[in-house]
Amino acid sequence: MIQNAWLIPVFPLIAFLILLFIGRFLKEKASYVGIAALALSFIVSVLVLFERIGGETYTFVIEWITFGESTITMGYEVTALNAMMLIVVTLVSLVVHIFSREYMHDDNRIHVFYSYLGLFSFSMLGLVLAPNVLQLFIFWELVGLCSFLLVGFWYFKPEAAAAAKKAFLTTRIGDVGLLLGLVILFNQTGSFDYGVIYAAVENGLINDTLITATALLIFLGAVGKSAQFPLHVWLPDAMEGPTPVSALIHAATMVAAGVYLVGVMYPLFLASSTAMTVVAYTGAITAFFAATMALVMTDIKRVLAYSTISQLGFMILALGTAGYVAGLFHLMTHAFFKALLFLGAGSVIFAVHHRQDIRDMGGLWSKMKITSVTFLIGALAIAGVFPLAGFWSKEEILASALLNGDGFLFAIALITAFMTAFYMFRLFFKTFTGEYRGGDHDDPHADDPRVDAYGAADVAEADNPRDESMDKEAHVPPAEDHGHHHSPEENSGFMTLPLIVLASLAVVAGLVNLPFMGYPLEGFLTEGLNLGSQPHGALWLAILSLAVAGSGIALAWAMYYKGAIAEDFFAKKAPGVHNLLLNKYYLDEIYTAVFVRPTVAIGRFFWEMDKSIVDGMVNLIGRSTSSTGRSFGRRHNGQLQTYGLVSILGGIVVIALAFVLRGYFG
Amino acid sequence: MTAFDANWSLMTPEIVLAALALLVFTIDFMTGIHGKKPFIGRLSVLSLLVTAVLVVVTNSTSGSIAEVFVVDPFAMVFKLIILIGVAMVILISMNFLDRERNAEVYQGEYYSIMLFAALGAMIMVSSADLITLFIGLEILSISSYVLAGFKKYSRPSTEAAIKYVVLGGTASAFILYGMSFLYGLTGSTSLLEIGQAIPMLFEEYTFVVMMSFLFMLAGFGFKISIVPFHMWAPDVYEGAPTPVTAFLSVVSKLAGFGIILRVFFLGFGGVYQEWAFIIAVIAAITMIAGNFIALTQTNVKRLMAYSGIAQAGYLLVPVATVVGDVGINMIVFYSVAYLMMTLGAFAVITLVTEDTGTSDLSSFAGLYQRAPYLAIAMTVFLVSLAGLPLTAGFIGKAYIFFGAVAGEMLWLAIIMIVTSVISFFYYFGFIKQMFMTDPRPNDKELAVPGSMQTVVTVSLAVTVILGILPGLVLDIFNTFNWMAFF
Amino acid sequence: MVPVTFFLALAAILFCIGLYGVLTRRHLVIVLVCIELMLNSVNINLVAFSAIGPFANITGQVFTLFVITVAAAEAAVGLAILIALYRNRNSIDVIKHDLLRW
Repeated sequence: MIQNAWLIPVFPLIAFLILLFIGRFLKEKASYVGIAALALSFIVSVLVLFERIGGETYTFVIEWITFGESTITMGYEVTALNAMMLIVVTLVSLVVHIFSREYMHDDNRIHVFYSYLGLFSFSMLGLVLAPNVLQLFIFWELVGLCSFLLVGFWYFKPEAAAAAKKAFLTTRIGDVGLLLGLVILFNQTGSFDYGVIYAAVENGLINDTLITATALLIFLGAVGKSAQFPLHVWLPDAMEGPTPVSALIHAATMVAAGVYLVGVMYPLFLASSTAMTVVAYTGAITAFFAATMALVMTDIKRVLAYSTISQLGFMILALGTAGYVAGLFHLMTHAFFKALLFLGAGSVIFAVHHRQDIRDMGGLWSKMKITSVTFLIGALAIAGVFPLAGFWSKEEILASALLNGDGFLFAIALITAFMTAFYMFRLFFKTFTGEYRGGDHDDPHADDPRVDAYGAADVAEADNPRDESMDKEAHVPPAEDHGHHHSPEENSGFMTLPLIVLASLAVVAGLVNLPFMGYPLEGFLTEGLNLGSQPHGALWLAILSLAVAGSGIALAWAMYYKGAIAEDFFAKKAPGVHNLLLNKYYLDEIYTAVFVRPTVAIGRFFWEMDKSIVDGMVNLIGRSTSSTGRSFGRRHNGQLQTYGLVSILGGIVVIALAFVLRGYFG
Repeated sequence: MTAFDANWSLMTPEIVLAALALLVFTIDFMTGIHGKKPFIGRLSVLSLLVTAVLVVVTNSTSGSIAEVFVVDPFAMVFKLIILIGVAMVILISMNFLDRERNAEVYQGEYYSIMLFAALGAMIMVSSADLITLFIGLEILSISSYVLAGFKKYSRPSTEAAIKYVVLGGTASAFILYGMSFLYGLTGSTSLLEIGQAIPMLFEEYTFVVMMSFLFMLAGFGFKISIVPFHMWAPDVYEGAPTPVTAFLSVVSKLAGFGIILRVFFLGFGGVYQEWAFIIAVIAAITMIAGNFIALTQTNVKRLMAYSGIAQAGYLLVPVATVVGDVGINMIVFYSVAYLMMTLGAFAVITLVTEDTGTSDLSSFAGLYQRAPYLAIAMTVFLVSLAGLPLTAGFIGKAYIFFGAVAGEMLWLAIIMIVTSVISFFYYFGFIKQMFMTDPRPNDKELAVPGSMQTVVTVSLAVTVILGILPGLVLDIFNTFNWMAFF
Repeated sequence: MVPVTFFLALAAILFCIGLYGVLTRRHLVIVLVCIELMLNSVNINLVAFSAIGPFANITGQVFTLFVITVAAAEAAVGLAILIALYRNRNSIDVIKHDLLRW
């Protein structure tokens, strides 16, 4: 079966093509096409995994292009790492496909939605199977494009359109670094193949400065894709997309691609201690900052989004402190429990008629039993409670930070773990316990500071006259009105089945790397790789991590369930900090001021320069010939003679430059 | 060897095209000058295709006529690019001329002048002699001046034409002035002989050689619209009839690159190190200015003009970084990609702007609802122009980018990739209009006529196929010894 | 004998006068004439090189003939466009034609 691994991405591609051409006739039935394709992919992935466990890495490549002496290949490869990733991606994608059947069924573009999902699954699986970095990059861009399409799926909401654009363009910044890094590597090694690159690094064919430079450039790509500080700003906004999309792309798969990238290029990173330090600190800082912001958000999806950023920071931190297995193990467990949490949130949002503010929820425990229980499992897992999946992986990350990092990294990781437990249970208690607060009132929080936080990228448009027409045409809200305005109730099997599946995985996924079974996952992933020994924590570390999680949960319980501490206790105590967090450290505003405005301004500058050079020229001519002197004030552009003059003077500048620099006068 | 016992059959495609162009002209006389003449359009397309076949056939005997007119892989590929480009422009024109508001155009003349322009471009890329080269260039240029002003009762069109003719004439004078010194120093107009003499002459007459190089660079730079010789392009592109804009931005520009390569690699190849840096600087400013100014544009045709300027900057990068056949590989591959994606985009632009009667960006509003196929195709073209994977534009840009890194011009590579990211912003303007805006109230579903459908489909297919399987043409290019005619 | 540099200087001066005229004259006919001036300065160069240059041969004169021919064609087209423009705008003043601008 392992030879047929190429089938895995092909099934979703076929689904995409079918839906592209005949989707509009299928309408709701489109979902079955997608579900069937992913089910097949999942089955093949499982078979491939079993075969890989007992066997060898399988590689199949064909020649693609020849550049001079080097040949670039395309094909697929099944390694231990991507065999695991295949399972994660196909499984999460499958449950999301099933979940969306119900969640999106009122949308009359459901077939389009499923075709995008198919395209995304294809791209993500292609990314995972890629045997070289160039192919990875191609699919990397493609998943970015799918993310753009899916975030902007409800494009008639201006926020969604802006968020889609922001997500795409922000990650492009990282991609610039990635591409540059790849090309430098190619230039040094003459190949994009992982194996050749590993060998070149090991044999010292690349000098240290270049290793560090390329590692950092490639890491920049990961920072963009995995929403690490300082490029994380797009992910919370991307929550404007439909919730199943958030679960699939912005929690479990695409955002993990950055972590995966660092994983596959790991030998390169290991060869540069500078790069490793940068990776570790970026991860730690991201984990910490994102967790602080998650503390105060009131939108259920945004809390989860910041939580995702924070957890991705954890993974990056683990990789940066030589915890290769820890980082990738957490990637897997996180994919399951975060997808679970997002789908749980989706189930809640669906039940309360597309409200997302947790201040409008509450008391859902009795009304939505399955959702509540599974959500609780997810929350316990992410908080790191024994014996759920998150406990095992988080404990390894802490061990890695402690043993290979420094005290600072470890402290940050611990504090973040505490905050994680706290904000997750704040979310849980506010949503599922207490009284239902989502009565008939429509939008009680219209003046929420959250609402003006959208899209820094939009500022470019505000300056730009050509976009004005668009924003005026405000659109009707999406067709997601369900017509049942009675109190929330549990959703149908299409939505609860995925929750149950993911919840059971969130319970058991940790078992694959149990210490007392000799860390089977570790053996599997590190086999044949020269990565050094993996850090493992002592028993006291496990107890400490449990204690931290427990105290976080206890504090949340005291504040939001018991009411022993007033909910706005901290907000009152330190309003400045609270506001800072609520405004996300004003990063959007800062970026707008520092990056977006200048870009627009540079564009304007060049344009103005073109114009003003022309103006200047006209004045010059005006002075030199009396006949034109009178008229230059009023009419000064569109003049062909000034174009000629600009060209000639420009040419003279170029000539002068060349002659001065090169000294042709001699 | 005298010119008269040379192998004149090498010129077959040009002679046939000239004859067919005259035939078209004659048929036009016989059928009366006014009225719609779609059959002449079809005949012109047929002529171009026949010529294209002849180009491929005659290439089996590569050689030259007295080292003045040469047939080599370079000439063949560029001729095919030109012929296919013009054929597609004519297909776009057939729809354009069909409309009431363009009834003033004399259709027969339009098509035959288009054919003569193609002929000029063909002669140009096949020449290895300054005189032949100049004649080819002027046949192309003079035809272009006429085409730009073809809507003779339209004020923008005639204004575009006069601007083009005055500035174009000046550019020709610059080229000639540069050429006259080359002739004076070497006593020959043959690029081969000039190429042999240049390294020694450079030692002795550095100043004059560089002067002549820079004069020619200024003139050719005008034809391919690179900064700072680009100022005419937005105005002329905006005023000219849209299919002519497509012609100028694709055929005229690529043919210009053809002779730049001929003259600079053959003639000045010996002193490559001396001028590569100048080209690199110009490429850098061209990419920066083109992409940044495009950000501020709201008129589709002006925007495409600046986008075309930026694309010319990308095409200049390999001229500055990679010597020899590999560099030509890159330029030719990107030229093919550029031809397809730009002509595809212009087909959609022509259809949309002619339908709505305005070339403002808002004319694209809700195109996805009006004509889904066009909107998707246009998205692919734009994405390719911006350089996203799975499109020909990505492969072309990546290839050029590799070359720049390998040529140790990292700064140029970085400028290239950063400016191409900036280009996303303005290409997104289109995509946003097409997909994320509702059509204007009185815009109905857009019917796509057959000729347009052909152009869009062919461009789309090539853009995507070359994006996935670039080896199809790159493997062929790799076997070419581009300028081997001697 | 007059050295070749004298002719080159004359051509250079003529080229500059032509260029200046193209860039400053308001009358479009004069602008077109100035382009002819630039092309003729090239002809002087070519003929001078052909007659008394370091590698004197007949090629330069042949080139000159081609330049003259092409210049005539270009002038014809330029004047034709000029007439079309005049019909539309009733003016051949360069600076009045600024419909196409930013």
